[in-house]
Amino acid sequence: MPVQRSRVGNPDAPAQYNQPGRKGKKAWRKNVDVSQVVEGLDELNKQIIKGGVIAEKKSSELFTLDVVGDSALPKKFSKHVKKGLKCDEIIAQRSAVPVVPMRKRAGDKTTDGVLPVKRQRTQYITHKELTRLKKVADGHHDSTVAVVDATYDVWAEPMPTEEEVEKFNFLPEAKPLKAPDTLRQQPISLAANGKAIPAVPKPKGGHSYNPDFTDYQDRLIEESEKAVEAERKRLEAIEEERIREEARAKSAAEADAAEARAEMSEWEDDSAWEGLESGGEELTTKAKRAQRKTQAQRNKIKRRKEEERKAKHEAAMKKKAAQVEQIKQLAAEVEEKERQRALEKTEMSDGSEDDGNDFEIRRRQLGKYKLPEKDLELVLPDELQDSLRLLKPEGSLLKDRYRNMLIQGKIESRRHIPFHKEAKTTITEKWSYKDFSMD
Amino acid sequence: MGKIKRKGQTGQAKNYLTRTAAVKKLQISLPDFRKLCIWKGIYPREPRNKKKVSKSATASTTFYYTKDIQYLLHEPLLNKFREQKVLEKKISRALGRGDLSDAARFERDAARPDKTGKPRYTLNHVIRERYPTFVDALRDLDDCLSMLFLFANLPSTSAVPAKMIARCERLCMEFQHYLIVSHGLRKSFLSIKGIYYQASIQGEDILWLVPYKFNQRIVGDIDFRIMGTFVEFYMTLLGFVNYRLYTGIGLKYPPKFDQTKDDMAAELGAFAIEGVNMATDPNAPKAIASGETAPTKAHGVDPKVQAAVDKIVRQLKQDDSDKAADEATAAETEVDDEDKIDDSIDKFEPVAPGGDILPQPSSGSSDPAELFSNFTFYLSRETPRQPLEFILRAFGCKRIGWDNVLGEGSFTTDESDPSITHQIVDRPVVQAVVDPEDDGEDNQTSQKLTANQRYPGRTYVQPQWVWDSVNDGELKSPELYAPGASLPPHLSPFVQTKQGQYDPTLPLDAQETEKEALDAEIGDKGEGQSGDEDEDEEEEEEEEEEGSDNDMDVGSANDDSEEEEVDDAEGGSGDEEEDSDGEEASAALQRQAELEAEISGKPVKSKQVDAKLKSKLSARKELEKKAKEEAEDLERAKGMLSKKKRKLFEQMQYTNNKKSAEDLKLRSKRRKHEKEQQAKSKA
Repeated sequence: MPVQRSRVGNPDAPAQYNQPGRKGKKAWRKNVDVSQVVEGLDELNKQIIKGGVIAEKKSSELFTLDVVGDSALPKKFSKHVKKGLKCDEIIAQRSAVPVVPMRKRAGDKTTDGVLPVKRQRTQYITHKELTRLKKVADGHHDSTVAVVDATYDVWAEPMPTEEEVEKFNFLPEAKPLKAPDTLRQQPISLAANGKAIPAVPKPKGGHSYNPDFTDYQDRLIEESEKAVEAERKRLEAIEEERIREEARAKSAAEADAAEARAEMSEWEDDSAWEGLESGGEELTTKAKRAQRKTQAQRNKIKRRKEEERKAKHEAAMKKKAAQVEQIKQLAAEVEEKERQRALEKTEMSDGSEDDGNDFEIRRRQLGKYKLPEKDLELVLPDELQDSLRLLKPEGSLLKDRYRNMLIQGKIESRRHIPFHKEAKTTITEKWSYKDFSMD
Repeated sequence: MGKIKRKGQTGQAKNYLTRTAAVKKLQISLPDFRKLCIWKGIYPREPRNKKKVSKSATASTTFYYTKDIQYLLHEPLLNKFREQKVLEKKISRALGRGDLSDAARFERDAARPDKTGKPRYTLNHVIRERYPTFVDALRDLDDCLSMLFLFANLPSTSAVPAKMIARCERLCMEFQHYLIVSHGLRKSFLSIKGIYYQASIQGEDILWLVPYKFNQRIVGDIDFRIMGTFVEFYMTLLGFVNYRLYTGIGLKYPPKFDQTKDDMAAELGAFAIEGVNMATDPNAPKAIASGETAPTKAHGVDPKVQAAVDKIVRQLKQDDSDKAADEATAAETEVDDEDKIDDSIDKFEPVAPGGDILPQPSSGSSDPAELFSNFTFYLSRETPRQPLEFILRAFGCKRIGWDNVLGEGSFTTDESDPSITHQIVDRPVVQAVVDPEDDGEDNQTSQKLTANQRYPGRTYVQPQWVWDSVNDGELKSPELYAPGASLPPHLSPFVQTKQGQYDPTLPLDAQETEKEALDAEIGDKGEGQSGDEDEDEEEEEEEEEEGSDNDMDVGSANDDSEEEEVDDAEGGSGDEEEDSDGEEASAALQRQAELEAEISGKPVKSKQVDAKLKSKLSARKELEKKAKEEAEDLERAKGMLSKKKRKLFEQMQYTNNKKSAEDLKLRSKRRKHEKEQQAKSKA
């Protein structure tokens, strides 16, 4: 910040008159400092010489209206006043030759007196069309390929083989394009057992509009168990969250209490200082005086130490042996586990009842987002009708097909993002308003 | 020391590409990349170690094989996408300048190859690449058909243009027509989701799901851009498949499509199927269109000319009649039934007794072309016309009439037509008293018939009759499916029954085990009425079955149970005294009989019966002994297994036993039910 100082008067800070007292030599007339008074009188004289005391003159005699302006000003504020805008600067650099107009305009308004033919707006673009064009420009084309009627049999003709009549034998033959083997690989199915999932799973009896009682009951029980399990899990999660929250609150409270205690302790320590401590005298015990050890004692200690060392060593060896044993056991266990898993896998693979209706979804997902949940396709007992007319269809086939594609691993799961992320803007003040000085 | 390798230069890092890298390499936008991948069949892959593959700090999620992407670089469709990108730039530049007409012109011309000089791109070459043989295409038809049938039934929105829907619908209809002509449809199932169909084409079983009409809600979290891409591909695929199928049986593709009829909701009737060569096979188109007389009327053929042509054709036919017999196309067999070959398929029998029930060849005993061929159907206006029409036609029916409300193209719209043999109704029987005087003028139905009135000489059935008949390959008895009757359960034809599993469609003696049958008979003779071991359990279940018999109403099972409890109390006193062991019980009975005989002074009556019983008992004893031995063998074998394996085996056995116990219970219930029925019929 620039120092602000007035243009007239004493620049120093106000101070007391510097005559400390009237006693002593300093108080003598010849030693009294009257310079200020003398200066004032001189100033008055000067003013009188110049044509009168300024304080007694009228303001109209002192001031005139400045119509020219300060010539020093551009020098002072060179940055702001002189430069002008950058765009003006750029435009000023342009050639003096006028531009060729790109925009199509109607002819000038001057006429030859004959009435003009009414202009037909043949190329008029409707607003709807315009919005569509804008969308296309943004990359939202509906289709790039044409779906036309099949007019020939794709599979009838043999695979195209290039048999060119005229060949340049000096040119190296171009190798035919070969699809890589990786292209033939099946997509990664999301089933836990890694088997391919059928596009349309075979429906079971429980899915019938007029189901057999046992089938329906089985399915109802199964689905309701699932629902109950899901609800239980949800409640558990809520409970866990609550407990965690409580613990957090508790620990926070404890921390607060501890802090408070720490602050208090300065005062509490005073009690010790006041001599309220009890049993201070009893604590002092007589230290036993060290005596020279006899040879027998030394031998005894030596023996004991040797024994201790041996015991320690033996324990270590024992532990080591046990660990070796454990390693063997662990290896066997792992092997057994793997064999077990393989067995289960083979059993799963030859199970013929697997018809793609319900299978476990594997834990490792494909893509960033979670697989959408399957719709509950179940008609509740009170809605179950045995008439086709009264059937209320369940589930959404659209969702079903989409999910099936995800499960088959043909596409990775995505999430619908209704709005794009917008750039964050922060509003700040410019700092240039503070750049000024007062002189 | 080996050569020092740099990180990320070999192995997994080279084999996989992240999606971003792939998009950059191909120089197209991400949506275009997605499209291309779907069309070309390039799927996301999963490297074993993601960290080794991606070099970026953030975790990449989607990977592709580098080789796949490299191969994509040669794809002609890629060019198309790049051209599209150029076009987009042109348009946006023109729009920025304010040259709207220019922008519109660019856009318009881009779709016309004659203006741009650039070819029109199709997915034709992709079809051959992805499905090298026709059978490959058939195997993937499940997804294709389900998708197209679904889209054909969607309401048109901005995401799903009406053009696409119309095209889907047309392709589906053409496919249905093929199945009608070739009688390829095998099974159908009414589920709560939609209607499943299974067809057999060239030995491949194709299963697809069709939604119910007017039911599709569009929900938010579906990516229609991706679905649309799949549909585009599948439309091309089904077009080619249809072409192949049609030409394979000597039909012209595409079939004639009548737009005006389609606008009147004729659906299948809007198509006129024609043979490739009309002169050699004049009967073919006639047979397919709805009603024999309909097409000739529509086209208005001059009878004189027709007669002349027929004459020439007859002459031609006589010349090479033997030749014509050889190339028996499906269309011909439909018309002339004389040269029908008995091409019944062998049945697979289990080699050893007690072996697995082998899946039988799916075509039933009867010819699917014959099932409904002699009937004339009439569909009431509350029935679903589209599936019924398709199924009936596919199983040989040629004359189907329906109410005017259901659309154009029926054989007759007159309900009182005397030629109608079957009418399908799905409305409740109204027990209203109708005055004979006032024939309600306001009601639509009353102008034809009052409520509950039936035309004589006609079978009235509910729609499920058609489905159950089709699935069983034989006509079901229509009494079970009469209007107002509680229908038998609609079973899934896709469920394969296992050995020993209860199957409600089979008779009891076809599925019960030896021991069960013996037990039942002994119980029968010994105790008169009920000698099942798990009597009380059965009683518990009884109420449930009662519920299932009526209307599946689980909630109302309580009132039934009260009656049952009363029954229990009555029958319980007798039952408790009887020993559960059949042998002892029969011995006791025998003694009682002897005592009675002694008192009355007569000789013991049931001597020969007893002998029979004895033999049965001994047979059972034998069986039990055998079972015991087997169990012991099993136990010994189990001892050889490791602990883990044994556990697994036991688990398996446990579930199997549980299931078989359930089946046993169901069978015994049925036995009891049948016995009651018998007793009732006797009385």
